[in-house]
Amino acid sequence: MNPHFEISLAGSESSFACAADDTILRAGLRQGLGLAYECNTGACGSCKFDLLEGEVFDLYPEASGLRAKEREKGKRLACQCVPKADCRIKIRTGDLYRSMVRPARFRARLISYRALTPDMGLFSFKSACPAEFAAGQYAMLTPAAGAMTRAYSMSNTENAEGVWEFIIRAVPGGAVSPLFGGLPEGHEVEIDGPFGVAYFRPQIDRPVVGIAGGSGLAPVLSIMHAAGMDESFTRDLHVFYGGRGPADIPDIPGLLGDAAAKVSCHPAVSMPELAQQQGWQGDVGFVHEFLPEKLKQPLADFEYYMAGPPAMIEAVVRMLVVEHKVAMEQIHFDRFF
Amino acid sequence: MSKKQVCSVDEVAPGTSLRVELEGLPPLAVFNLDGSFYIINDTCSHGEASLCEGEIEDGQVECPWHNARFCIKSGKALTFPAVEPQRAYVTEVSDGMVFLVG
Repeated sequence: MNPHFEISLAGSESSFACAADDTILRAGLRQGLGLAYECNTGACGSCKFDLLEGEVFDLYPEASGLRAKEREKGKRLACQCVPKADCRIKIRTGDLYRSMVRPARFRARLISYRALTPDMGLFSFKSACPAEFAAGQYAMLTPAAGAMTRAYSMSNTENAEGVWEFIIRAVPGGAVSPLFGGLPEGHEVEIDGPFGVAYFRPQIDRPVVGIAGGSGLAPVLSIMHAAGMDESFTRDLHVFYGGRGPADIPDIPGLLGDAAAKVSCHPAVSMPELAQQQGWQGDVGFVHEFLPEKLKQPLADFEYYMAGPPAMIEAVVRMLVVEHKVAMEQIHFDRFF
Repeated sequence: MSKKQVCSVDEVAPGTSLRVELEGLPPLAVFNLDGSFYIINDTCSHGEASLCEGEIEDGQVECPWHNARFCIKSGKALTFPAVEPQRAYVTEVSDGMVFLVG
């Protein structure tokens, strides 16, 4: 059996056991602690901590979520550190980060794949346990033993059958995403989750806007499925989806299935030359530019859920917060950058 | 116009900052840039972090949590994830004390 180490939190009574092959962040979250985090992949910096005592091994010393200066001062990222001894750490905590569904590590089999666009596919996996997660959350997928792990959001909603659907975009030259393309049906992967704080809040009584680019469509679909199928949630639902050209735009109403009738879809492509070549009749521009015109109401009236490329997220947040005075609390996204 | 005493100039060495709590105001961050004093709100407009725990460089302070940068003189948000400015206050120095004017 794997050795375990004890991780204690400075300024609190809390401590937890962390296996020698587990990250401090995920072990803590799995045991119900509200350790601060967002992306789980070393990019956002939310889980930075001070190592007060003990020793850790850093899986990703080049991670962009920590500056060289911070590293010199002994700061580390909890999502990238595995313990080599008992440790005492100083890390931010909050109830927001305590997952409603305890994350767990388990195996799942690939049961189906279908292409959505030339470079994106919908992958369905089945686990022995029920698929429990909040709409909009993500899981860490390891496609094969020894392969690297990446975060992918679920595009479906929780279910007793144990079906986990993910949208994976093949990133040319990527270390992980190309591996999924060649997986045969029945292949086993490891799923670790659910994680993420950009999940659907059905108790917030505002119309919902989902904004996505690329494989960021997955959590937005999940949220639209959840909101659309929830009979007590009667507010309007909107999806804005941006791609470079028409070929990047999947059949969103088709993916929404039974929820499609309740959702207004607003796709847009950003490259005019691709739009022209491929006979696109719809909107041309960046998705955020279309929010005021399509929503027809003050933008501060809506609750926003977003996932997509960093430039898209930043442009949307700037526009909503600075120009339209939308409170940051109404905008939900996990910062994978 | 009121004048509130915030701290003494000796409490904030050049290139450093001091977090001060005054009644009726959010926590303040007092900065000393080469002998000139500036006051902005201490709590980052993006997260819940204290800017006084951040690095100071080239007239900017970097939030210790998500590394958003702010202009110390104007409070302007310079880099994502912060997009909203920190409130900046008018500052006055007399008799070795730093005052907030407003």
